Amino acid sequence: MAKKQVKKVTKKVSVEDDSSAEVISRVRKSAKQITTSSTAEYFAKNLQQVGFSSPVKAVLTTLKEALDNSLDACEDAGILPEIRLQVEKLGPGTLKNTDQIRIYVEDNGPGIEPEDVAKVFGEYLASSKFGRGRCSRGQQGIGISAATTWAMQTTATGARVVTKTKNARKAFKCVVDMDLKNNKGVLRDKTNVDWTSPHGTSIEFKLDGRIQLNGEGGLLNYIRSTVLLNPHMTLHYEITDVAPNTVERVVNTVPVVPQATEPHPHTMKLGEFMSHARLFGRTKTSVWLKRGFSRVTDKVLQDLVNQKGLKRKVLDSFVDALPDEDFKALFAAIQAVELLPPATTSVLSVGEDGLALSIRRLGDIDFFAVLSRKPVICDFKPLQVEVAVARLRERRGEDNEEPVQVLRFANRVPLQFDKAACAIVKAITSVNWRAYGLKQPRNALPLGPYIIAVSVVSPFIKFKNASKETIDASDELVEELRRALMQTGQRLSRYLSREHKAGELEQRVQHIEQFGPILVETLGRILGASEERKQAATAGLAKILEKDTKGIKKDLADAEGRLATYLEEKKSRLSGFFEGLEQEDQLTGTDVVAAVPSKPASKAGKEKV
Amino acid sequence: MAKGQQTTKRVAKKQSEIISMGTELCERMLSDLERAKRPILTATKCSLDNSLYSPKVGYLTPGNKKVSSELNVSSVKKMSRAIFMLEILLRNVEISNINTKRELYYVAKGLVKHESKLRPLDFQDQDESDSVIDFICEMMEAYREELNCVADDRGGQTYSKQLVVVETELDGNQSTVDLSTLGTAPYQPKNRPQNLQLKAKSKIDFCLIIESQGTANTLVANGFTKRHNCILIGAQGVPSNAVRAWVRRIQEQLRVPLYFFGDLDAYTMQNIYRTLKAGSAASLIRNSDFCAPEVKFLGVLPEDIAKYDLVDYPVKESDLQEARALKKARDALTNDPFFKDKKNKDLRAILDWLVKNKRRCEQQSFISVDPRDPQMMEKILIDKIKSGNYID
Repeated sequence: MAKKQVKKVTKKVSVEDDSSAEVISRVRKSAKQITTSSTAEYFAKNLQQVGFSSPVKAVLTTLKEALDNSLDACEDAGILPEIRLQVEKLGPGTLKNTDQIRIYVEDNGPGIEPEDVAKVFGEYLASSKFGRGRCSRGQQGIGISAATTWAMQTTATGARVVTKTKNARKAFKCVVDMDLKNNKGVLRDKTNVDWTSPHGTSIEFKLDGRIQLNGEGGLLNYIRSTVLLNPHMTLHYEITDVAPNTVERVVNTVPVVPQATEPHPHTMKLGEFMSHARLFGRTKTSVWLKRGFSRVTDKVLQDLVNQKGLKRKVLDSFVDALPDEDFKALFAAIQAVELLPPATTSVLSVGEDGLALSIRRLGDIDFFAVLSRKPVICDFKPLQVEVAVARLRERRGEDNEEPVQVLRFANRVPLQFDKAACAIVKAITSVNWRAYGLKQPRNALPLGPYIIAVSVVSPFIKFKNASKETIDASDELVEELRRALMQTGQRLSRYLSREHKAGELEQRVQHIEQFGPILVETLGRILGASEERKQAATAGLAKILEKDTKGIKKDLADAEGRLATYLEEKKSRLSGFFEGLEQEDQLTGTDVVAAVPSKPASKAGKEKV
Repeated sequence: MAKGQQTTKRVAKKQSEIISMGTELCERMLSDLERAKRPILTATKCSLDNSLYSPKVGYLTPGNKKVSSELNVSSVKKMSRAIFMLEILLRNVEISNINTKRELYYVAKGLVKHESKLRPLDFQDQDESDSVIDFICEMMEAYREELNCVADDRGGQTYSKQLVVVETELDGNQSTVDLSTLGTAPYQPKNRPQNLQLKAKSKIDFCLIIESQGTANTLVANGFTKRHNCILIGAQGVPSNAVRAWVRRIQEQLRVPLYFFGDLDAYTMQNIYRTLKAGSAASLIRNSDFCAPEVKFLGVLPEDIAKYDLVDYPVKESDLQEARALKKARDALTNDPFFKDKKNKDLRAILDWLVKNKRRCEQQSFISVDPRDPQMMEKILIDKIKSGNYID
């Protein structure tokens, strides 16, 4: 930008044909006007880029950022998260068509040391997670600071924080304001207070926004999605116009977020490569390559020299003294050498067990299928896809021609906006769901009372925008998603085919009962036949149709037998889930990957989400 | 003549014949049921793969393929519906009542509404009841008109200064219509052309059937029928039963040359001209009375485009209907016995030209030859007839 401004001035001057001394003086003067803005100032002016583009999104994004932080903190500390969440309308907002909304999120996480509070809630890009290559929900350290900025801009109040670590006697309470000029959090009204929980953090925002409960971008959909992908979380929530509710955890183990692996040389650019070297100081290049990267072994170093013609002395030199030419030669050689693909161990998934248990918290479902694909390398990054498909019992029966409900997740965070451009939706629409027994218009989402939940987990998800609303639809990713969806579709169709056979049998038996008497009666009427003839014909008809029914019953028994064998095969793979179900629900004939819950999943007195 | 093709002229079925055929069918079914034997309903297969064509016969006739439906749990619904509809049709024949397919749909709906036992038979839409009526006709090899089920009299509006039509009504009364007294208003032929007797007041030189009703109107308004001793008919797209039977009546009773003039495209060639000249595969059992094998193709011919410098344009394959017509044309070249026959090699050549060149030219393009001359189209048509520039 600065360059551009200087250019502009130069051009203007030359047009006016001033003397060269005047030109230089003007350029210098205008150069003095070029200022530097802080990161905070940039984001404060561009909040729409990070999810604050409308009052509805402002509420959802704030809630999402607070909840993500809580869940990440709990997982990092190995604590089973118990979250309390409140969203309430306080009155009219200062902006047009908005309300003043209070958002409160409390967790039982490890708490934050008082000296870190200002950084966490009041400073952009201050994060323990940035670029570390782990599958945490938060990555850059922008979200919660943006929420504080929005609260300050709309209601002139910062974030109210109460936090207590395990060793502290009292909780630390304060208000965090933003110093935009310097990208710093400023604490005020600091006090120490008593707090019942042994540790945890609560944050409260008052901001202008609008509460939208239903629909794809609605709060309830967000909660529903978060619940699905976090089976280890207990959530208490109170939202204006919704009865207070508690969703209990269904898994009692905290997922362990795998440690990041070292970067893979093929995922780097030259500049990154050279900067990475500087972190290692006075280290031999060969040592730096082996320690600083994954998949670089002694054999690879030999190949660099023998096959790619790299001078041996480059590897023996110290990396901090390596001239740029050698860096370029080294970079070119390592890009050309054959390496194993990046490791997939850094990917974290919910797992079929967890998904199977969690999906039953979404509502009264009568069938579901879940699938966890093995981690793969996609666009040269490790990635794992998980899919859950459930059919809602309450929406069945009434010729449901609505498109299925799609729940999208990236690193276990629900994505609720800009659905059409997302890789997940592109993959769903590209699958032929008709082959699996679902209705589907051409190039569109399938129809029916189903939920299709798709989760993409990767330490490096390619988002289309800073607000992380859409995953970029690369061909490789869409193909991986398609495979996962098709496998789930196959599992789904096994159940649907059995159901179809049963329905067919029922329909045929009904046919016999309904049409038999009509046929005989009409024939008798046309011919003026006697009662005896009609009775004989009715008996004859019953005999004929009974033979047919036997055949269909046999088909159905075969289909059920095949399904049972299939379930038996899968049972051993997910034994934990079956034990849980036996204790809890005494399910019969269920499958982890294609199961039929025998009763609604919720506990008495607690509502569905 | 194609192997197995029947040449005997079909004789119209009388009302009593229809009733006894229906009763026999029902008797056979009831007897089978009494003996716990599965009744079988058999109908002529009306499709292209069961169509035969011979230039001597002149139209598509059914082969030996039959469609059989045996009673089982899957077909019991279809059979019950067929017998239910047959009862309605037989009653109509008995009391000389006439209904359209749409009316029969509502008759059936009404009966179901007032008799709860019949509720499972209810038709969800007219397509369902239409297919049951068609099945009954194919089973009995009867025209729907013989079952007193008539279609809307669509298309076929006729203009002439020489033609006189004598109609014998159902009650036996006769009425005479002299088309020259109608001014520029058309005569509308009926679905039962068997009741019509045609006479010519003076010599009629030809009969011209125009695909577009609008273009036929324009020609009449510009005085075509005043200047030429002819019959001018607007087909209004795909010829309805009324049009097909009406042209057949003209062919048989007046013995005048018949010419068809329409667009140069695959749809017109297969769906309009072929149906008018040789009938259709869907109506194999009725083609003998519902097509006019002597009708000639006057144009638009591919050579007309260059000869008259006509406006033509490429076929839009993105247009679903046009793409479908083109695909159907490719199939017709290999499967349609009409286009496969040597006698129709010139028509086949046109279809081939259309498939290869993917261009089309509309009948109205003749107007563009000289837009200031309102008689330009007339002049070209007469020129083409006189010079024999058509395909027989």
